[in-house]
Amino acid sequence: MTDSFPTAPPAPEVAVDGDGPADRPGVVRRPRPPGLLRVGGLVLAAIFAFPGLYLVWRNLTEDADPLGLVFSPRVMEPMGRTLRLAVSVSISACLLGTALAWFSTRTDLPLARLWRVVLPLPLVFPTFIGAAALIRSFNPGGLANDVLATVGVDRTPELQGFFGAWFVLTLFTFPYVYLPVAAGFRQLPGSLEESARLLGDSPFAAFRRVCLPQVATAIGAGTLLVFLYTISDFGAVQLLRYDTLTRAIATNQLANPPVALALSLILLVVAGAVVMVERLFSRRRSDIGRIHDNKPVIYRLGRWRWPAFFGMAVAAALSIGGPMLALVDWSADGLRRSLRGGRPLTIDAEEVIDATGNTVLVGVLAAVLAVAAVLPIAYLVGRYRSRAGTVAYAVVISTFALPGLLIALSIRFWTLRSGLVFDLVGNTLALLIFAYIVRFGSLAMGVSLVAVQSVPTRLHDAAATLGAGSLKRLLTVDLPIMAPGLLAGVGLVLLSVMKELPISLLVSPLGFSTLTTRIFSSFEDAFVAEAGLMAVILIGLSFVLSWFLVIRRAEHL
Amino acid sequence: MTITRPTDGDRAEPASKGRGRSGTPVAGSIGLRHLSFHYEGGGEGPAALEDVSLDIAAGESIALLGPSGCGKTTLLRTIAGLERPDTGVVAIDDEIVTGPGSWVPPERRRVGMVFQDWALFPHLTVARNVAYGLGKRRRDAVADSLRLVGLVGTGDRMPSTLSGGQQQRVALARALAPQPRVLLLDEPFSNLDTNLRNELRSEVHRLLLDLGITSVFVTHDQEEAFVVGDRVAVMNAGRVVQVDTPAGLYARPTDPWVATFVGDATLVRCRADGATAGSSFGVIPLESEHRGDVDVLLRPEQLRLVEGDRATVELIEFYGHDVMVFLAIDGQTLRVRTGPDVRVRRGDRVGVVFDGPAAHAFTAI
Repeated sequence: MTDSFPTAPPAPEVAVDGDGPADRPGVVRRPRPPGLLRVGGLVLAAIFAFPGLYLVWRNLTEDADPLGLVFSPRVMEPMGRTLRLAVSVSISACLLGTALAWFSTRTDLPLARLWRVVLPLPLVFPTFIGAAALIRSFNPGGLANDVLATVGVDRTPELQGFFGAWFVLTLFTFPYVYLPVAAGFRQLPGSLEESARLLGDSPFAAFRRVCLPQVATAIGAGTLLVFLYTISDFGAVQLLRYDTLTRAIATNQLANPPVALALSLILLVVAGAVVMVERLFSRRRSDIGRIHDNKPVIYRLGRWRWPAFFGMAVAAALSIGGPMLALVDWSADGLRRSLRGGRPLTIDAEEVIDATGNTVLVGVLAAVLAVAAVLPIAYLVGRYRSRAGTVAYAVVISTFALPGLLIALSIRFWTLRSGLVFDLVGNTLALLIFAYIVRFGSLAMGVSLVAVQSVPTRLHDAAATLGAGSLKRLLTVDLPIMAPGLLAGVGLVLLSVMKELPISLLVSPLGFSTLTTRIFSSFEDAFVAEAGLMAVILIGLSFVLSWFLVIRRAEHL
Repeated sequence: MTITRPTDGDRAEPASKGRGRSGTPVAGSIGLRHLSFHYEGGGEGPAALEDVSLDIAAGESIALLGPSGCGKTTLLRTIAGLERPDTGVVAIDDEIVTGPGSWVPPERRRVGMVFQDWALFPHLTVARNVAYGLGKRRRDAVADSLRLVGLVGTGDRMPSTLSGGQQQRVALARALAPQPRVLLLDEPFSNLDTNLRNELRSEVHRLLLDLGITSVFVTHDQEEAFVVGDRVAVMNAGRVVQVDTPAGLYARPTDPWVATFVGDATLVRCRADGATAGSSFGVIPLESEHRGDVDVLLRPEQLRLVEGDRATVELIEFYGHDVMVFLAIDGQTLRVRTGPDVRVRRGDRVGVVFDGPAAHAFTAI
């Protein structure tokens, strides 16, 4: 899983010879792009920018004056709760993710390889499903409650409100920190720490003075993802009854549009501000050196080996094992019950198959189209010298901070306001897929850019000297080399679409349901067996897809 | 670049921060006794050591020379305290730093090391890199160290903005700044291209002599080992097979493997008869008495081309200051080093004679 927040447009291709001073690099001059590509890139950027800009514009022009509501308690109170939750989750996920990353990459922990595969997995859980599973488990009659009762704990904490939201979101977002930090720890040449040791540092001092600064950018980027995820999360806080901005927007969007608009503006500002701050503080790291075969130092844990192992097991059990068990438990209960002629399930097989098919259909369509939509921009940035490309890239990347709920809201308000748009695309799959593309285009952007840049210019030159025209070069050189990267991009978007809740809830055409919308409504209506059954299908599907499309590729990084 | 040797007044006070001991910068001696090291598991770990013993005098520069995987880097890391051998003793200045029941962690050994990839901290400026191992009073010491390696004025730059040669010098300055008792260098020049490598090699060589510091460096390049090392320890398969001065090693290798590993050599099977051996191109005087079958070590400069038709010229390689002529004779290839004005051509028939002091011979096995 390579969820990563691309922090800046890529550095120009630099050719450094054996001993060329790096401050006077031989920059390979890239050509100017064809006009059509430039225009296309700008049009795409405009499309990506539209939902966010539309919300701002409506705030400024609405007769009911949403801007006047911004400082009212109805808006400020949810904002306070959102910030409190997001800061707490960021801190805990940052600590947990970093610690787990260090233990699983830099120590002789038993089964280190297993943990490296298992620990990213909580990302396949949509947080609302994780929340649902944990809520039920800790409630009386739930799995965790039973287990705790047998060891004599008869009062389990009730998962609700701030504590519940913090607990659940930490458990399901720490992989955003874990993944980049673990990669950073693994890439850090051991000679750096060894140098520090020989220059007089204790192991701990070497970690603090040398290792930590090297992975600080990764920690910052990962924590930013956690923060953005938390402020945009809707499903988990809804189920845990904690009134954040997203929940307030969802409840107000029909009844009180001006309040919803004001809330969404605040959410937009918070997201934007945090991204800016992170950008300001994260310095660009210089590359670590030329030799990368230098293996990282592995620390011996000694008598802490098994306690650390136990800690890993607890983290994995709470974030993956427990929820998975709970879901399987419910669905098994439900199936048993209906087979024995008890209360029948409220859904039939046809509906489940239908929802599964819909999930895969919109997921694949949105994923392929999202990669296709950002590919021209990736070309502009990666292959050509173009200001249009830089602008378009910045626009697409900045949509990363735009919560799905706001995209859904913007599109709803837009279709309701404009009769023409409503007639044309209102209530169609096209609108839903458009929303997904805008939501996840930034994810596809980073991966596509890497793919474009992975095609060495000299291969192009070689193909050209062998008489291949531009179309033949595209088909015989570019696409085959980029294919694995682009496929990983499709996989990443596909997985994200399958988990997406607010857009799926608000923008789906009438009568169209995906697995996530069905699971969410089943759980809200307390049909846990049905919710569990579909959740098992969804997660199984995500797991298989992420294994084939993302994890397997990321493991060798 | 010029290396300016600091006068004694310039010299910084030794760093005392976090050190087991501090004092005037004295070159330390190193004693290695029966070091053995075997890695766990397959393939991944460092190369093994088999019963390695070696004494390095204070102020001496010693080269560990061997093919890749022979254990030379492992030995260096063992001295630094970065690897812990299964058995054996490492003593620095007669203080046991590795041994049964005693262990001094690397940060308290006062050992400096220049890594193969230089391991400059990418997040710190050049000055902060150099100051890393220093306590207070760092400013003077940093400036001194940078002056020592000819990098005055680069202190505020980031390592990645420096050229490879400059980065190498920063690594050296950083290792020297805390005034270690011993300087270890792990293939320090292997990342540089040829011209720069030779230039830096001479500079480092001079610097080591000027400072009088004990140094151990690892290399797989025989020329490098000969140029910089006072003595060379040749390693193969985890063992030290021979320790000698470069000249001694070149003239009297301990076995045929060392003979062919250090320098160009041809081993010719001859029949020895006391102080001489007979070969297809005449009688060769031997250094020591042998009888029966021997393998005579012939260096290219010990052979000379003459008129004749015993050998055929196979190949001519022009090196500027000399020329290497490859001869086919009796199904074997002999290499002859001649002056640059040699007038043979490929395919010519020539003669060859032995023209040197007595040759070294190994009893044929």
